[in-house]
Amino acid sequence: MKQRNTALICACGLLILAAAMLGCARLGAVQMDWYEMWHSSVFWNLRAPRIVLSVLVGASLSVCGAAYQSIFRNPLTDPYVLGISSGASLGAAIAILLGLEAFLLGVGTCALITGLITIVLIYRIAAIGNRMHTTTLLLTGVCLTFLISAVISFLMVLNQDKMDRIIFWTMGSFASASWVEVALVAPIVLLGIGGIIYYSRDLNLLLAGSETAQSLGVEVERVKKILLVITTLMVAFSVSSCGVIGFVGLVVPHCVRLIVGADNRKVVPVSAVVGALFLLLCDTLARTAMQPSELPVGSLTSLIGAPLFIYLLYKNKKSY
Amino acid sequence: MNYKWLPPHRNCCPTANHRSLITIHSSKDMIEVKNLTYGYADKAVLKHLNCTIEEGSFYALMGANGCGKTTLLRLLSGLAKPQQGSVCLKGRPVDQYSAREMARHMSLVRQQAQTDFEFTAFESVLMGRNPYQRRLQNESKRDWEIVEDCMKRTNTWHLRYAKPGEMSGGELQRVMLARALAQQTPIMLLDEPISNLDIAHQFEIMELLRQINQQEHITLILVIHDLNMAWQYCNQLILLHQGGILYQGSMKQGLTSQNISRVFGVDSRIEGDHLVLSKKPTGKLN
Repeated sequence: MKQRNTALICACGLLILAAAMLGCARLGAVQMDWYEMWHSSVFWNLRAPRIVLSVLVGASLSVCGAAYQSIFRNPLTDPYVLGISSGASLGAAIAILLGLEAFLLGVGTCALITGLITIVLIYRIAAIGNRMHTTTLLLTGVCLTFLISAVISFLMVLNQDKMDRIIFWTMGSFASASWVEVALVAPIVLLGIGGIIYYSRDLNLLLAGSETAQSLGVEVERVKKILLVITTLMVAFSVSSCGVIGFVGLVVPHCVRLIVGADNRKVVPVSAVVGALFLLLCDTLARTAMQPSELPVGSLTSLIGAPLFIYLLYKNKKSY
Repeated sequence: MNYKWLPPHRNCCPTANHRSLITIHSSKDMIEVKNLTYGYADKAVLKHLNCTIEEGSFYALMGANGCGKTTLLRLLSGLAKPQQGSVCLKGRPVDQYSAREMARHMSLVRQQAQTDFEFTAFESVLMGRNPYQRRLQNESKRDWEIVEDCMKRTNTWHLRYAKPGEMSGGELQRVMLARALAQQTPIMLLDEPISNLDIAHQFEIMELLRQINQQEHITLILVIHDLNMAWQYCNQLILLHQGGILYQGSMKQGLTSQNISRVFGVDSRIEGDHLVLSKKPTGKLN
């Protein structure tokens, strides 16, 4: 019965998302009615890929956030806070400097490699026994983010001709979205979400602790590795298409848990839909609020996410 | 009663023959520990340990703090790998079992079971059905019935919608026990399951454990500090001392003044069916 409710919520969410995508497509600097929109190159070449990409990245970051929160058993984690997004952006920056953009998967692959290195570093530094200590985990993420932005700044100074493109990765924006990026990101994100839904019951059990999960029949180390590779792959490809967008993975799963409870079999699919909607609306606001100029979408998500993060820290204070 | 165990040439009457078969069956060793050594960093906690766990018995695993009781449970359940020696379940080393197979053979109630995420008690107990479910498969009606039964037996059914923050330590512990019961394993390992409970609930849980041991022939290994409870309820004793086994065998023969004095450094005497403990005049542990 409960699973049917989840399917119903997801179906309603998808309908709302489809309506929102159509509605957002009409908004923008160029005003169009439906007929004009269908025949306009502004829609097909600029707005449509941008909208689809923001939906995919929103879903991807939210689902990864929900997964990281279960894997690390910590409600305060998401790809941005952990520094994985920054790690992936370093790979993207290096790929641009090396001229790997010409290859189809060049930037994504480099982002994946540095993203994986980052997550291994976090794991090695922050794990105390089987438990991730909140303070150590967050400080590790913050320090890695600082370190990586320092390295990226250094790379930018050395290669001033490519500075614009690298800045884009550190700020986060969908302005340069195209169908090529959609084609690269879509399969990874959709398969990744499917994979995480497949392991969603294991994620529930991981929340009870590694040893408890194993005594309940989960091959903990194997499942953790598979999930970390899937999530990092999703984050890396999302970041390589639109740069670093913060706090989506934190805000969305928390709001979703308020509605559907802690069961990841519901949290993961509903987060995908809600995250897609959230980033779509943020990006539409970013490109329409101050026309003709554009706000960086990352700053909008941070405006919403950072206060929530502080609130969660405040709420968790008694557990320190 | 299941007669399929009887050899075909025998008459299927529950007579002496049948009883002797049960005896043969129950004397089979479930778990065999050979020359087991395990330690943390430089310190060996368990040294060259040998013991056997027999099917259908109710074991108390006792010893002073830090003597390796929890470590031994982790090794028995395959959560830790022996540095030397082996642990075999039904003749096969535990590290050759998959986590899923192990979860169908052994359930584990751990000392601490806290999570920052808010699963309801019912959802927590339902996790005990995981070893029997395929991925993406929903719980069946039977799973729900088993969970309901286990929660009623541990007196936690009224807490089914409660989240961890809304339950006391004792209630949480009973929920964890219900989850282990829902795993429906022939062996249950329990790490101090009554330590957070008031005396009424301690008796309730011990009675329940005795009942599942006697009626369902589930082998129980219980880490317990309360000597009196162990004395009253458990029929087998494993006494750990200084990294080795001081005694393994029947509870009534093993829990002697001499052994208690050696392990815990307290004096004891038996009055009726109870142990009376008193501090040694020197107050020093051996």
